[in-house]
Amino acid sequence: MNTVVCMKQVPDTETLIKINAEGTGIVTEGVKWVMGPYDEYGVEEALQQKEKFKAGKVTIVSLGPDRAIEAIRTGLAMGADTAVHINDAAFYEKADPYATASALAAAIKDLEYDVIFCGKQAIDDDSGQVPAILGELLGLPVITQVIKLEVADDKSKATVTREVEGGHAIIDVPLPAILTAQKGLNEPRYASLPGIMKAKKKPVDVKTVADLGVSVEPMTVIKEMSLPPARQAGKIIEGEDAAEKAKALAKALHEEAKLI
Amino acid sequence: MSTFSLDEDQRQIRDSMQRFAAEEMRPIARDCDEDAGIPDEFLEKSWELGLTANIIPEKYGGYEFGRSVLNNAIMAEELAYGDLSLSLAVMVPNLFVLPVMEMGTDLQKEKYLPGFCGDKYKVGTLAIIEHFILFDALDIKTTAERNQDHYVLNGEKCLVPMADKADHFLVVASTSKSSNNEGIDAFIVEKSIEGLTIGEKEKNMGLNALPTNTIIFKDCKIPLENRLGGEQGIDYINLISWCRIGLAATAIGLAGATKDYCIDYAKERIAFGHPIATRQAIAFMLAEMAIEIDSARLLNWKAAWTADKRDNLLRLAYLSKTYASEQAFKVADYGVSILGGHGVIREHPVEMWFRNARAFSMLEGMAIA
Repeated sequence: MNTVVCMKQVPDTETLIKINAEGTGIVTEGVKWVMGPYDEYGVEEALQQKEKFKAGKVTIVSLGPDRAIEAIRTGLAMGADTAVHINDAAFYEKADPYATASALAAAIKDLEYDVIFCGKQAIDDDSGQVPAILGELLGLPVITQVIKLEVADDKSKATVTREVEGGHAIIDVPLPAILTAQKGLNEPRYASLPGIMKAKKKPVDVKTVADLGVSVEPMTVIKEMSLPPARQAGKIIEGEDAAEKAKALAKALHEEAKLI
Repeated sequence: MSTFSLDEDQRQIRDSMQRFAAEEMRPIARDCDEDAGIPDEFLEKSWELGLTANIIPEKYGGYEFGRSVLNNAIMAEELAYGDLSLSLAVMVPNLFVLPVMEMGTDLQKEKYLPGFCGDKYKVGTLAIIEHFILFDALDIKTTAERNQDHYVLNGEKCLVPMADKADHFLVVASTSKSSNNEGIDAFIVEKSIEGLTIGEKEKNMGLNALPTNTIIFKDCKIPLENRLGGEQGIDYINLISWCRIGLAATAIGLAGATKDYCIDYAKERIAFGHPIATRQAIAFMLAEMAIEIDSARLLNWKAAWTADKRDNLLRLAYLSKTYASEQAFKVADYGVSILGGHGVIREHPVEMWFRNARAFSMLEGMAIA
């Protein structure tokens, strides 16, 4: 089974995020970059499917600047076969979900695939739109938040389980299709030492957006970005006994918080 | 002059090991310490990292990516950052495999290396340390006396890691009465050999999770072909130096873990209205920990780099091991001080790291780079 995995390199979840001077993005210096955690489920699932079918190729496609190659190599070290790196810092810088999906679609359209995996969202901008737009551009069905996948032996269709509020939905989908990976789909493997050493010999096709013939402009622009306000210290309600405390609490909720 | 920045391979190795250490080792470390043992599932999972098969040549079933002492040191430090005992357990098979690969005869390689390329955790271990006050790795009391067609092995080894699980032992013994290291050799000893007794599991002060045993050899008949390296023997100085570099790296990992834990603690722990990190008594200790760790790492990398160049490394390896083990104990001691009362409570890992750091300084031949 052939699969494509769309992958974005994102700041590590433990990185301390700072807003840049222009207020339109984050400070990228000193940030530790990793493969998007949801994308990692995608890579793992692609590898497991390949192992199950004992044939096929896993291709990672990523849009990002030079640094993105490290996350791509991590994917190759886990076991992916090849990668396309759309290395275009200027385009990436201002790309919105539409522009990103357009670049990915152009890179993917000539690849062979039965399934395209995406993370359900990138954990930096959290837009969650790219897989859907990609589906529109490639004319493919999209199933989001997949936690289980069973591909038919002839690869004509798949049965997927997705999370819905309070339960699960089981869906049949013809292939090829785009599936977005949710936590629970699998447990991503660690890049092994032999995997890491093998990865550097695997082919990475580096392309610019112009090479792919993409000339779209982003439809949206980030105007401003800000951190959540600092949390205020809590207030301890004083009082002689429970009744008096309850009275003070009700007063505070009414007069200060204006909630009741 | 070499560079101090890691290349891409090294960064990938570091990241992968860091992650394994954080997700698979740290969460179980305390339980393993309390239970004085390591679950098999953990060992099997660690085997998937391919630390052993990675370096074994393809013709013996490995991946033949070659050995880099520097990469191994980076790896060892990151694993030990997760937990020292568990990291040593993960690396034990290499104690047997590396010397066989680097110093063994073709026959020995053919016989023993393929067994370590399967997908199940397999143990071969190294027996160096002996029960003597002022034990000196260059003055080995276990003897291997040559007869017509075999050696007769006599002596007692202690602190042999994972001895109960090991199929083969590499036993360091003296082949001549001379007191210099010229007469020191290593012998491949099968577990099943007559005269070999594996003693009770040792109860140690630290590194509780790592099973170690005493092994007694009484007139064990070792075939001539089991002398590592055959007739010409081995360069024992290199073997012991590789162990020292590997051990030093793990001590640095332990110290790094302690420092980071203490920094977080000192920022959160409020005393007299302020985080204790703002108090000079604490801040100075944290700064000193950082200085020690970085210094030890530089020395360790230099020793590893020298080993990779195949230069004489006895001195650097010894300095690195000595310094790393002293700084680890100092850092762990500071760690206990910074945590105050919490430093001796088992809820925090620092008391375990302190015990591990102290026990560690006794070791020789528990890790190899």
